[in-house]
Amino acid sequence: MIELIQRFASKVSAKLILNPKLLVEKEGRFFLLNKDMKSILRNDFFYAGSYLGKLKKGKFFPSFILLANLATGKANKVIVKEKAAWLFVCGRDLFPEGIKEVQGSRRKGDFTLVLNVFGECIGFGRILHDLNSTEAGVSVQNVSDVGDFLRRER
Amino acid sequence: MSGKQFFIDRYAQLGWSYRETKPRQALRINLSVTNQKPLLERLKDNGVLLNKVPFLDSGYWVSRSRVSVGATAEYLLGLYSIQEAAAQIPATVFSELNGKRVLDACAAPGGKTVQLADLMKDTGVIAALDIDRRRLSALSNHLERCHVRNTMVYCHDARKARRLKMQFDRILLDVPCSGNFAADKEWFARRTLRDVERNAEIQREILSEAEMCLKEDGEIVYSTCSLEPEEDELNMDWAIKSLNLEIEEANCAGGNGLTEVFGRKLGISLAHCRRIWPGDTQGFFVCKLKKRRNSSD
Repeated sequence: MIELIQRFASKVSAKLILNPKLLVEKEGRFFLLNKDMKSILRNDFFYAGSYLGKLKKGKFFPSFILLANLATGKANKVIVKEKAAWLFVCGRDLFPEGIKEVQGSRRKGDFTLVLNVFGECIGFGRILHDLNSTEAGVSVQNVSDVGDFLRRER
Repeated sequence: MSGKQFFIDRYAQLGWSYRETKPRQALRINLSVTNQKPLLERLKDNGVLLNKVPFLDSGYWVSRSRVSVGATAEYLLGLYSIQEAAAQIPATVFSELNGKRVLDACAAPGGKTVQLADLMKDTGVIAALDIDRRRLSALSNHLERCHVRNTMVYCHDARKARRLKMQFDRILLDVPCSGNFAADKEWFARRTLRDVERNAEIQREILSEAEMCLKEDGEIVYSTCSLEPEEDELNMDWAIKSLNLEIEEANCAGGNGLTEVFGRKLGISLAHCRRIWPGDTQGFFVCKLKKRRNSSD
């Protein structure tokens, strides 16, 4: 369980230290408990502590709590301008003109966290072409964004 | 025992003259995720104009907005929650919450759970229960969006809370109730006095169970958005007579609770409850109860 989460962290070049004793799994969803919770949590819980993500068809999908946590440290990050941030939250990809700053990897195929100008993580994506190049078209493909909270309600 | 005039006459007997009202949209800033001033500036830049709710620390009325406040990036990032102003009151009535073990017995969709976590600065533990499994997803999404870390959620009937085998320092009972006309256009057409009495009975069952799960000196905050005294003062009168609970002054907005209902005199401590008739907010009732110490102590 811990390997899955750390493998995702390494995909965005981040390091994550988790206490395995505080990690629990429920129906493919992973949670990090606080110490007070550990001794009193019953097996029939639905949600507990910090939700870290879920495993679906063998693939790990990170939660927005996990992404925000990774964004506080060293990681691949793309900081985007205001309009691009809004489009990204609406599920759109990023184009070169929307990118304000790149931290960490610029390499095609790598994953990167996407942050707004306030330093808040709004999701993550996959770099589609080297961010140093002058190539036109989509630079970062949207994999997941916080607009998902609205889509879940539909 | 139903119909608009029937209920309007009852409100008149309780001292309130009926008038059409429309509660104002309100939001609450999540102070464990952001600071008020910069967020207010950001929202203003996005065309969202807010006015401080005078009786709340982090509650604002939405005066004008170019965008839906439930679909901004700031909302999706959990910097604020949409929460009716009166509904923001109950969680603020508890004394010290930091590090406490708290039960939110009827928690979904989670507005007050997130508020409790915010007030607790994510310390201690909240056990959030709801009987309806479908509503737990909305509650969980709310917790994730607002980055809450101290809450465990169970699909559980509040009337069987003892099965958790836990004792709590604080219990929020925002019980299922009949609601009120200000929040539901069809309220008068839908509700009967029989509904009110049925809800009041369920509320008493929840209260009895909660008292069993409460530590000595622990606090219960009981709230409804019902204007009907059967669900409010009469239930509280029953609670102090039947359970090991006493009413404490609820230090919050609202008028005094009723001490006489339809000719029946109630305990004087009922005045310490808070009753809010509809106006800028929906109708609301809040009561703070404390568990008495055993006399052998």
